[in-house]
This record gives sequence, structure tokens and C-alpha cells, in this order.
Amino acid sequence: MIRIENLSKDLGEFFLRDVSLEINDGEYFMVLGPTGAGKTILLETIAGIYHADSGRIFLDEQDITDIPPRERNIGMVYQDYTLFPFLTVEENIGFGLKTRKVTKREIKRRVEELANLMGVSQLLHRYPGTLSGGEQQRTAIARALIMEPKVLLLDEPLSALDTQTAERLRQELKNIHSITNTTIIHVTHSFEEAFLLGSRMAVMNKGEIVQVGTPNDVFRKPESEFVAEFLGVGNLFQGKSRVDNGIACIDVGDINIVSATLKSGSVHVSIRPEDILVSTKQIVSSARNSFKGKIASIVDAGTTLKIAVDVGIDNPFIVAITKQSFDELNLKTGGEVYITFKASAVHVF
Amino acid sequence: MLKKLKQSKIKFITILSSLFLALFISVPIICIVTHTTLSALITSILSEEIQFAIRLSLGTAAISTIMCIAISIPAAYALARYDFFGKSFVNTTLDAPLALPPLVAGVSLLILFGTTSFGKALADAGLVLVFTPLGIIIAQFFVNVPFMLRILRGTFQGINPRYEHVAETLGCTKAQAFWRVTLPMSKNGFLAGSIITWSKGIGEFGAALMLAGATRMKTETLPISVFLNMSCNELNLAIAAATILIIISLISLFVFERYGGFTRVF
Ligand SMILES: Nc1ncnc2c1ncn2[C@@H]1O[C@H](COP(=O)(O)OP(=O)(O)OP(=O)(O)O)[C@@H](O)[C@H]1O
Ligand SMILES: [Mg+2]
Repeated sequence: MIRIENLSKDLGEFFLRDVSLEINDGEYFMVLGPTGAGKTILLETIAGIYHADSGRIFLDEQDITDIPPRERNIGMVYQDYTLFPFLTVEENIGFGLKTRKVTKREIKRRVEELANLMGVSQLLHRYPGTLSGGEQQRTAIARALIMEPKVLLLDEPLSALDTQTAERLRQELKNIHSITNTTIIHVTHSFEEAFLLGSRMAVMNKGEIVQVGTPNDVFRKPESEFVAEFLGVGNLFQGKSRVDNGIACIDVGDINIVSATLKSGSVHVSIRPEDILVSTKQIVSSARNSFKGKIASIVDAGTTLKIAVDVGIDNPFIVAITKQSFDELNLKTGGEVYITFKASAVHVF
Repeated sequence: MLKKLKQSKIKFITILSSLFLALFISVPIICIVTHTTLSALITSILSEEIQFAIRLSLGTAAISTIMCIAISIPAAYALARYDFFGKSFVNTTLDAPLALPPLVAGVSLLILFGTTSFGKALADAGLVLVFTPLGIIIAQFFVNVPFMLRILRGTFQGINPRYEHVAETLGCTKAQAFWRVTLPMSKNGFLAGSIITWSKGIGEFGAALMLAGATRMKTETLPISVFLNMSCNELNLAIAAATILIIISLISLFVFERYGGFTRVF
């Protein structure tokens, strides 16, 4: 277990402020935040690269606040991989074992084992400069894992990769986590990633942790304007998707949502509040999704209004409309409305 | 039409001036090399005096380069990585020898080592710098260390400290991280720095002349040899020494261009 108590760090232009976190053994913990929030610095402080000004860090009840990085047994993978360019993939992966008293043969065996696990066995003789982003990332993860760290810190491991590669690697991270059972702290910008990988997550802003919880909780009950704004998705459902005739039909409870993203099985669905039309009468259009519901609440959100429409499933739909349309439609709490959105506005992951 | 003519006129004039400049630089150099016959040149190069000068120049420059590397590694690292009180003062001071005429640098070294009690203490301890080959090394070091320092500082600054951080999480101490990661990544900087320092060391004249003097077969480096032999009208020997200097500078220029890309350092 890793326990962070009131950690602060002053870097001149930037403060890490009073960060407290508890991460359980074997947990896959996500840290989300906008750019410049201090996510990398938080990881670096956990790894021991920066020494905290105040506060304590405990790893398995041992106080590691004043211990240098090499004795912490915490692995770190930076967002830009930082593979040593003058070493081959094999030498990169084996780098850490050379500082331990391990025989050459044992190093070779372990490197091959990790290369197999990360799927870079064919690349062992190559130099990092010739690898693709995904291959570099795999190598960097293997280099950290070979030390059998108690905690693995991943700084935006997927954000520099194209969607397909990112998706595959995300799946592999999940597998690796279940194989090695290493505690992982994974930094990301992407809520989707947090949802798919994390058992719990923290949201960071301006050097502070603003909310901690399961992705579901944080998403459903943002505790601040910032979190709500940053996650910004609005409508999220879980369901079973069936692909039929070039269209996906997702059962999210009592209704079926149609999506243009062809993904089947157990999925998450999100629809941005701005993409949903609201009307007092049913409209005939090319949009594939249309539901009848009741207005559960109306919230003033500055330039727009957020209307919650209950269509008879667990969570209401959130719809954003301008004040002008609100006045024209003469909407009231409890009033009956129709919501309509296109299949292409339904994001499936 | 007129516009085109005007443009081509500008093109013509600018190209002409660049050609003229190239000519102005290459002709004198060619003049030196072609002034005597090849056989006379070879005889002179094989003479005992020039052989001595070659050995002395190569040796002193190599030693002063090693000294420059040894002191510049830690100093450049500190200047690249840490903020500390007086950093800008240190930066400015270390650049001073670049602006100082070497002759003046030599005079100040002569006064330091020849007249102060510090210099006398050194001499008593066996380190006689005035009018000795040792003085040549110190003069070269003084004049050239800023080059090495600037190149290494630029090199270290160009290496993301995260490489060292990763090495630290992989079990390295700070020193090991530097040794196993930063040093190998600085290879080109070291090469460029060594070549510049070494070839400038070989060509060093002013400061070495003041501190070490111009004694035939004792402190006679290649440039000093040119100077001595020109003074006594031994044109062939002077040209032999000059030719070797030209060859060395051309080779180092080539290597520097090839592996350099360090123009921003200056
Ligand atoms: N060594 C340092 N000294 C001073 N300020 C720093 C240092 N390192 C980073 N910063 C600043 O701290 C802030 C937070 O940086 P950090 O890299 O942790 O952000 P991040 O959340 O990881 O952002 P991103 O998502 O873009 O990677 C930034 O404004 C950065 O400029
Ligand atoms: Mg970052």
C-alpha cells in the first residue's frame, strides 16, 4: 500500500499543495488532470526525484520520504519514454539489473522474459531511434517492470499513440496488471482511459487533488464545477451492444440507443449534452435516437441551461440548450418532452 | 523585365562578393604551401627542430585538452543543471578568456606565476611555469577552457534530466546515472569540444609566448617555430611548420563540421 500524507512541494512557479492519497496493493489507480496540473511532478515526487518540502510518503508502512529513488523500488515510465538512445532495446530493458548483482545469463533470461511479456522480442537488437511510438512505450514499460517494482508509475503512456495502438496497449496494460499484480498509478488526460482501466481515480488541478473516487462516482457526482467541466461528458451509460446491419444497438436498460460506432459486447456509451435536441412534440428527422421523457430538473449553467430529462432509466439524460430556446419552448420542471440525437453523436467505448 | 534585370544584378553582385572572399582566403594559404618545392618541404619537416616542434605541440595540446575536459565536466554540469548564487557571475568570468587578447592573457599569467608569492610557492614545489613547456600547457588551458566549457554546458543542457531520473529509478546513484547515461549521450559534445580545444591549443601563440617564451628546442611549438624561423629568415623551416598547422586545422575543421552542429555555442 502506498500512503501519501499532506505532500507539498514548491518548485518556484509551481506548487504541489497538500496532496493526500491512499492507494491499495495491486490497485490500478488513475490520476486525471488538465495539462500543467502537476501530474508528472506528483509522480516524480512519489518516485523520489523531487524531495518533498513537507508531508510524508509511506510504502507498505515504511516511511520512504527521505529515501533516494534507487532504494524505493518504484518504477517510472515517462510520457516521452526516455529510452537511452545509445543502448539497444535489450540493453535498455536490462539496464536496471546491471546495478544489482545479477549474472549476465540471468539478465539475459529476464530481459527475454519481459520482452516476451511486452511483445518486443523481435526488436531486442534495435536502437530506440528506429522504433515506433508503441514499440518504444512497450520497451520503456519492460525496462521498468524488470526491476519488479512494488509500484509502477505510468505518465500518460497512451496519449502519444494513435487510437488503434493506444487501444491495444491499453488492453495489454490491463493484462499485465492482472498478471504481475503490481500497483499501478497511471496518469492521463482521458476520462475514457480512466474508466476502462482504473479501479479508482484522482482528479488534479493546479497542484491539488480535487476529488478521489471510483470513475463512476467521480463522473456521476463531481464535487466541484471544475471536475464537472473537466470531465465534461454529461451522459454516460453502460450496456450491451449488438452490431447488426452496419449499426450498433446498445441496450442500456429499458431503452436501446443506436450508435454508428460498431463495437459489440459490454460497452460504455456517452453523448455530449450539446448534441441532444429537445422538443415539445415528437419530430421526424434522420436522427436515429428519439425518446420521450419528463423534465426532472433545470440548472442554470451560465451561457446555457442544463436540463435533466428522465426517460425511465436509472440516470436522466442531461441536455444543454440556450436560454433563448428555453424561453421559446416554454419548458417547466415536470413537463413532457422529446429528446433526439443522431447515431453519430453516440460515443461508444 | 527591368525588375528581373535588377534582381539578377543583385544576384550577380552578391555571388561575386562571396567568390571574392573565398579567393582572398584560399590564395594566401595556397601561397604558403606552394612557396617552396615539395622536396625542400619534406626535408624541413623531417629536420630535428620541426620534429621537436611537432611533438611538443601535439603533446602540450593533448595534455591541456585533457585538463580542460577534466575540469569542464563538473563545472559545465553544475552550470547546466543547478541554479546557485553567483551563477551569472561565474558564467561571465568563464567567458572572459574568449574576449581577452591571448597576449594579454599571457602577460597576466606571467605576472601571476612569475612575480607573486603564489607563483614562487608553486616553483618551490617543483612546478616551474615560467619559460618552461609546463607554461605552454597552462597558457593553452587558460585560453581554451571556455570553449570546452561552453560546448559541454550546451551539450548537458540539451539532455533532458529525465534520462538521469529514469536511471535513478532503475537503481543508479546520481553519479552512476551521470556516468552511465549522461556521459554516453554527450559523446558528440566531447568530440567537438576536444577537437576545438586541441586544435586551438596547437595554434596557441600569444599567451604561450608570454608565459613560456620562445626558446629554440625548448618551448618551441609549431607557431613559435614559425615565429622564430621567420625572425631568422629560415623561410623553409617556417613554411614547414606553417604547413603542418594548416593541415591540422583543416582536419579539425572537417571533423568538427561532420560531428559538430555546435555553432550556437559561440
Ligand atoms: N523543475 C521544475 N521547476 C519549476 N517548475 C516546474 C518544474 N517542472 C515542471 N514545472 C511546472 O510545473 C507545472 C506542472 O508540471 P507537470 O509536468 O507536472 O504538469 P502535468 O500535469 O504533467 O502536465 P501534462 O499533462 O502537460 O504533462 C508546469 O507549469 C511546469 O511548467
Ligand atoms: Mg506530464
